[in-house]
Amino acid sequence: MSQHKSSINGPQSSFQELRILLIDDNKQRAESLTIALEDSRYKVSHLASTNSGLLKQVEQIQPDIIVIDIESPSRDILESLNTISQYNPKPVVMFAEEQDTQAINLSIESGVSAYVVGDIQMSRVKPILDAACARFREFQKLKNELTETRHELANRTLVDQAKRLLMKKKNLSENEAYKAMRKTAMDTGQKLEDVAKTLISLLNTF
Amino acid sequence: MIKPEQTNLTLGFIPLTDSAPLVAAKEMGFFNQWGLNVTLQKQNSWATLRDKLHVGILDAAQMLAPMPLASTLGIGCAKTHIITPLVLSLNGNAITLSQQLHVEILNENSLSHVTLPLAAYLLKNVIQTRKLQGRPKIKFATVFPYSCHFYQLRDWLSSADIKLTDVDIGVVPPVNMVSMLENGDMDGFCVGGPWNAQAVRAGLGITAVTSFDVWQDSPEKVLGLREAWYTSNPNTVLALTAALQQACIWLESTPNRFEIACLMSVSKYLNAPVEVIAPSLIGSCLTDKSMPPREIPSYNQFYKSQSDLINSPEHIRGEWLLSKMQSAGQLDNIDIPHGIVKQIFRPEIYEEMRVKTSETE
Repeated sequence: MSQHKSSINGPQSSFQELRILLIDDNKQRAESLTIALEDSRYKVSHLASTNSGLLKQVEQIQPDIIVIDIESPSRDILESLNTISQYNPKPVVMFAEEQDTQAINLSIESGVSAYVVGDIQMSRVKPILDAACARFREFQKLKNELTETRHELANRTLVDQAKRLLMKKKNLSENEAYKAMRKTAMDTGQKLEDVAKTLISLLNTF
Repeated sequence: MIKPEQTNLTLGFIPLTDSAPLVAAKEMGFFNQWGLNVTLQKQNSWATLRDKLHVGILDAAQMLAPMPLASTLGIGCAKTHIITPLVLSLNGNAITLSQQLHVEILNENSLSHVTLPLAAYLLKNVIQTRKLQGRPKIKFATVFPYSCHFYQLRDWLSSADIKLTDVDIGVVPPVNMVSMLENGDMDGFCVGGPWNAQAVRAGLGITAVTSFDVWQDSPEKVLGLREAWYTSNPNTVLALTAALQQACIWLESTPNRFEIACLMSVSKYLNAPVEVIAPSLIGSCLTDKSMPPREIPSYNQFYKSQSDLINSPEHIRGEWLLSKMQSAGQLDNIDIPHGIVKQIFRPEIYEEMRVKTSETE
């Protein structure tokens, strides 16, 4: 497994094995899916939704992708994986009735990690799984970028606020205030935003 | 008379004791009286109910009270503006512990029996002993990340200063709760009826606290629908709200509560015996096979004749739920638009329905 890791984005990425956890009470469909994916990079583990040990299975199998019947009660367990359990989010592909597929596909446009296969044409499954994985990575990347940007912005606001307080209370120029903060950060081995936080609480108290 | 724009509707519900208002409105003909032809569609998970509502496969749905907030903020799903014009029920959940955990509580605290509602601090010695013996943490199950169940469980544990990292909390579909307690996969759960009563009747658990013991009279289920759908069908929403309000009022009488328990026991609704559905509906909390039930008059509350406000989706209730989501860390890194609660909890629609229906009378 590890020798493939380095090539995730490389030309050989299509050979990287991806573990699928399939949650479906429809045995026949589960079998067809397993057969359809036999010679692909996807390796299927099947689980009935009545199985109570879903969380344990997820931990054991560490799936790269989860395929589930949209009518399975276990959907709520998946929902909790990255909220309550702080589990790394996974792409989820759902089976749905043909008439529901179109409407639900609309919701996918907006970036949820749910991708719907209509009433099973197994030849179509592999490209859908490929697309789901790719799309999910893209979505996660955007989400991470957004979180980082927010974080950066919040930090910048903190530093600015501390700087202004220093200027006002200690009668420093902007440059002097900034330098003083940077020096404290370097001397104490703290991040600039942590110094800013301490300064704000100190200067607001005294 | 209210003239609904759309008359054929599909409503989603999860089979639970507090789906009573929807079932009553359908079975007692209240939807018809307001000019609506409603199909009730049973759903197996809150996530799928939500997704179907978002894309319009369902026109409206019975939702967990925090769900319209989560939908509108886009937490765990695509952002979709969901509103609620009506609170369907208050209370109704309970925390049930496995018999094994019950025995551990007695042993670790040198007690011959517990007093109910159970004080959460009695878990502390169990947590401590399990840690010393290198045994797994106490495992609790709840029904959905954005549910009163989850927040009530958190609040109950916090009331004894139990750190949430000292226990495990996971999500399990209500239908699997009792079997997980039986298999020892879970030590306890916070869920709605009829699952608590079912665990007690089967001798598998003890219902230690009801949600009424944790939060008095807070909204549990609400009617949820898309804001966009409301804009194009305002009169349908008024008629729907009126029919469901009528059902809530009908559910005030004890004989009607018995009747609804019977109606709901069939397979298209709860598919469960009357003896597990009826108790909470008549204010009786089954506790343990060997103990008497507790009397909790508002275990399932759908209406209160002295108070007009119980079904009105007051802003303060939304603010309360939002604060619970906040303290559960679910709003970290989320922009909360100013006045968001007012855009979701819509007492003015409820008020309009009240005015229009009194005109009709």
